[in-house]
Amino acid sequence: MVEIVSALEPVYRRGAHGNRDGGSAITLWETQPGSIVQVTSWPGKEGAALAAINAAASLDVTADAGAGVFSDTRSAFGFAPGRWLMVDQAEGMGDTLRDRIDTQTGTVTDLSHGRTAIAIEGERAEWVLSKLFALDFSLAAFPVSVGKSTAHHEFFTLIQRTATDRFDLYVYRSFARSFWQLLCTSAEEVGYTVD
Amino acid sequence: MTAHRTQRGGRIDRSRIIRFTFDGTAMSGHSGDTLASALMANGISVVGRSFKYHRPRGIFAAGIDEPNALVTVIRGKLREPNVPATQIEIYDGLTVESQNRFPSLSFDVGAINGLAGNLFAAGFYYKTFMGPVVGPLKGTRFWMFCEQFIRRAAGLGRAGYEADTDRYEKMFAFCDVLVVGSGPAGLAAAQRAAAEGKRVILAEQDGTLGGALRWRSATIDGQPAAEWLDTTEAELRAAGNVTILPRTTVWGYYDDNQFAALERVTDHKSAPAIGEPRHRQWTIRAKDVVLATGAFERPIVFPGNDRPGILLAGAAARYAAQFGTLPGRRVAIFTNNDSAYEAAVALRDAGAEIAAIVDLRAGISPAARDLARQAGGELLLGHAVTNAGGTKRLREIDVQPFAGGTITDRGKRSIVVDCLAVSGGWSPAIHLASQAGAAPVWDEALQAFLPPAPSQRWTGAGAFAGKFSTADALGGEFEVDEAEIDYAPAPVFEIRPAKKSGKSFVDFQHDVTASDIRLANREGFQSVEHLKRYTTLGMATDQGKTSNVPGLAIMAAARGIPISQAGTTRFRPPFSAVSIGSLAADTHGHFKPERLTPMHDWHMQHGARMYSAGLWYRPMIYGAGGETIEQAYVREAAAVRESVGIVDVSTLGKIAVQGPDAGAFLDRVYTNMFSTLPVMKARYGLMLREEGIAFDDGTTWRLGEHEFLMTTTTANAGKVMQHLEYYLDCVWPDLRVHVTSVTDEWAGGAVAGPNARKVLEVCVDGTALDNDALPFMGIVRGEIAGAPVLICRLSFSGELAYEVYCGAGHGTHVWDALMAAGKPFAITPYGLEALGTLRIEKGHVTGAEIDGRTSPRDLYLDWMLSKKKPYIGSAMVDREGLVAEDRVRLVGIVSLDDRPLNGGAHIVERLEDEPRDSIGHITAVCYSPALGKYIGLALVKGGKTRHGQRAHISDPLRNRFGPVEIVSHHFFDPEGSRMHG
Amino acid sequence: MLIPCPYCGPRDLSEFTYQGDATRVRPDPGSTDQAAWNAYVYDRVNTAGDHSEFWQHSGGCRAHLRIVRSTLTHEVKSVAYARDSIHERSRA
Repeated sequence: MVEIVSALEPVYRRGAHGNRDGGSAITLWETQPGSIVQVTSWPGKEGAALAAINAAASLDVTADAGAGVFSDTRSAFGFAPGRWLMVDQAEGMGDTLRDRIDTQTGTVTDLSHGRTAIAIEGERAEWVLSKLFALDFSLAAFPVSVGKSTAHHEFFTLIQRTATDRFDLYVYRSFARSFWQLLCTSAEEVGYTVD
Repeated sequence: MTAHRTQRGGRIDRSRIIRFTFDGTAMSGHSGDTLASALMANGISVVGRSFKYHRPRGIFAAGIDEPNALVTVIRGKLREPNVPATQIEIYDGLTVESQNRFPSLSFDVGAINGLAGNLFAAGFYYKTFMGPVVGPLKGTRFWMFCEQFIRRAAGLGRAGYEADTDRYEKMFAFCDVLVVGSGPAGLAAAQRAAAEGKRVILAEQDGTLGGALRWRSATIDGQPAAEWLDTTEAELRAAGNVTILPRTTVWGYYDDNQFAALERVTDHKSAPAIGEPRHRQWTIRAKDVVLATGAFERPIVFPGNDRPGILLAGAAARYAAQFGTLPGRRVAIFTNNDSAYEAAVALRDAGAEIAAIVDLRAGISPAARDLARQAGGELLLGHAVTNAGGTKRLREIDVQPFAGGTITDRGKRSIVVDCLAVSGGWSPAIHLASQAGAAPVWDEALQAFLPPAPSQRWTGAGAFAGKFSTADALGGEFEVDEAEIDYAPAPVFEIRPAKKSGKSFVDFQHDVTASDIRLANREGFQSVEHLKRYTTLGMATDQGKTSNVPGLAIMAAARGIPISQAGTTRFRPPFSAVSIGSLAADTHGHFKPERLTPMHDWHMQHGARMYSAGLWYRPMIYGAGGETIEQAYVREAAAVRESVGIVDVSTLGKIAVQGPDAGAFLDRVYTNMFSTLPVMKARYGLMLREEGIAFDDGTTWRLGEHEFLMTTTTANAGKVMQHLEYYLDCVWPDLRVHVTSVTDEWAGGAVAGPNARKVLEVCVDGTALDNDALPFMGIVRGEIAGAPVLICRLSFSGELAYEVYCGAGHGTHVWDALMAAGKPFAITPYGLEALGTLRIEKGHVTGAEIDGRTSPRDLYLDWMLSKKKPYIGSAMVDREGLVAEDRVRLVGIVSLDDRPLNGGAHIVERLEDEPRDSIGHITAVCYSPALGKYIGLALVKGGKTRHGQRAHISDPLRNRFGPVEIVSHHFFDPEGSRMHG
Repeated sequence: MLIPCPYCGPRDLSEFTYQGDATRVRPDPGSTDQAAWNAYVYDRVNTAGDHSEFWQHSGGCRAHLRIVRSTLTHEVKSVAYARDSIHERSRA
């Protein structure tokens, strides 16, 4: 298979940056999953679509708004009525899901090239993200495993919390480089490391 | 130690010396000083010149309400004008200049305006510059000539011309309780909410917490106020659920308890730390809010009340107690209420001599009498200050007996003082509550507007709510020991001696006097809104924090009505000045979002000059050494016609349209039929809006029975997506169709030219490409260099052409392979200019022609309007107005003078016609290498019927006139033999 | 102003796009009644008070919502998915 080239390549500078007074309060990295797939069910077929996602990925997502799960290599979460994002470090999840979800259940849309996945982890992750999004990032309002869709100006973004101090962000590839630079700039104040 | 610095006391760190510069003079202060307190300590009495009359003015307040002491802060090449000196925390290297003086503060040429007396009274501009100039100056530009000088004479600080290089940031925050203000009321509220486990944000406008606890004397639970403050602050900081935001002004109260707040992060520092923004603009969403914003003290209006050395009594106490700085050595107090007696004691304790306490009231509370004894000095009850003398520094005051509103001359005397501390009562800072909705309520006892009943989820506390004592501000659970004074003032706002003896100022910052207000009344500008606009009362940068209520009271008196009937204006955001940079923050400069195609880096490495098209960056031309733009695009376009070129089309909007009803949906969305399109075929489609106007066009590819890939124009991708979602959600929810933006999923390159197929044959695996396997508008799947691709044979250039799509992450990989395969054919990458040239030669329309006004008929696209089915716009596309004969319709034009044409230029029938005789306009232009001429597309009345006619372009803006021929818009290969071949 | 999205919860106005008056009903697609189409496309009542309108959560889940909002106070009185309310109307 041909490698998927990162949209961030020329601006992805590994190492420690920004204010070094207190070390790095956050770490940023691109997670580069092999598969990012959207599953959309017809109204009333949410259960069947979820069952297919869960069976394909060995996960256990529930039907609640924003509900999600994750493992070391996979994650899935709802981000709109009847819509889920399914992420796998391995390639090929699009085909797997397409085989399991028939026309009567819903549709599968492969976005593996079209979205860039960025992780932000550390004690000041909430602070840095609060500069960009009108969302309450506190643990009570945004529990671990939950997904949300939001936007910073033109940057449409899906966010899943994958630890008390970690969020995984999915942004449109064409905007990814610009978003990454904004994220790094926003993190300068607290010091950050690019992994 | 300077003459005005006290020996001890105050919340300043005397061990830390801070050096700053004022008007070029080096000065020093201490950590904890504001610029105002430091200037006062340095003996500076005149800090600025007034707006109209250029009168010398001194420090008048100690907080955000300061009307006089506005300065310009200079940071490198940047100038920030009109900053209250009371709000600047000094730091090493701080450089400020005073304002509105020439050539210097102490000698100012503009002060002559003061002598001109009533020349500059209210309405001056309206009266002087309305109507025709008569007499010998008639017909000259005399008024405009005058205005230049008057505008220069009136004014405040001067803004700089340099771009602001500082960094600004936004921040969103959520909390259970937002407490605005950290005086005793705010601290107690924060403490209570924190104890209940709530998420609390405590916002304080100043650099330190405590409000009046920093200067008023009281004992709380056995501790002196200042100690209690330190303990409480430490407790709040230790609690995990309280965010304390110093230097943060909550300036806007919006719907649903959303607040705008400006945090001045680094204004008090010599240099910001790495990554620190200068200002941070907070948007705070609070379940509940406690408004503990305190109150502003009011001046008393009397002749000469603006002399430097006259200031608010509460401010004087604050300078003495908080900053260890004396506003004067020999001080008189002038008041209509008890609170100034506390100030007298504070001044006396700090080392000032109290010469006299002049009180308008005949009788005062026992507590006040006790304070007067402590302060010392003569107690003159039933007296008024009727004049003040001295220009650059107060020298003396005139005092006369005052009873029942009448001043008597018998008993008039002068008192020599260098400072007069004035209190005209207190106005609660109800601005945020007023912004939130309801009108404030006049309280007769306190002679003040109190906050209205809440229209949103807020509660009020402390002086904001008219509760001025420390005990009332803290609430019941504290044991407070303080003087039990009476805060209700005598209802006197102005002292008006019978004999006119000088100007009595109401609005210091805009130089509005009591007589200006009476003039407004006489001339009929009586309503508070008219008063404000006619006199500019309360319209300066301080927004009338000290002047609103006195101004209103004087108008009410002039009209003979109670203040409660005179009304008040509604406060609107912002409460105090907000930097524009903080509002723009991350949406300007290099923070502006950019969209890049997958091949962006390749373009940059190969000499592309980029266009910004919306947020996208696209190659305009690939300049080969020394070429002009025209030379480059002509070379690129010619290469396509002669051999083969390649262009990045990744920016085209791409929408996955999926589901069993996808075909039926597209039939409704497009004017032509899509349900009958075979799988692995593409069709050109046109969309209208409901009113029958053309909306967007593009090709849509059927990739499966239930799966289409729609392409849109680059500019309309977002709008088309929203259009589709609207109809699926709001009009036809029964259709089983999903739409998803996949613009970013695919990289696209169009390979065009007579050799296009040969290039693909070199590099494409897994599919045949001949005419049978891939006919015009056919689609095949294959691989290029191991990457899966989707190839559709369609043409925008009129040549044999293929659009090659692959996963965006494979974009550069596939592009490189195509470039390598094209090498034997001298494949030429081309940019938007060449793309535009090729499409103009073919007469294809884009956004310049589908401009939101043209119908399909105007563009000769009526062949695309299906008669077999309804579609969006079908019911209205045949309306009378859309089929009228005089509509502008698409034509081609050729320059007959061999000079370039300009887009947007008008077209007229005869050279001598004016632009208003326009019969249409040019939409797109280029030099056509295929024709060897300058050509363009245009929308012209009559369209086709004018083919072969001559006309003229009329473009006075660019001074371009000249003959053109109107021709068919199909300039080149009208039969389409090249793309089908 | 906050809009309580049924899926995403209360979100800031900046995440939403106004999508027009929700009281108008599109004429039958095959209809050529010009007066009816004209009314649908152009005629709007400028209500002072409660108004039914479509908003898209364009910066979020992208669902269209039917919202009853007071044009006097901006208070949102009710929110529902637009598609559900259209279904209800077609059943009625």
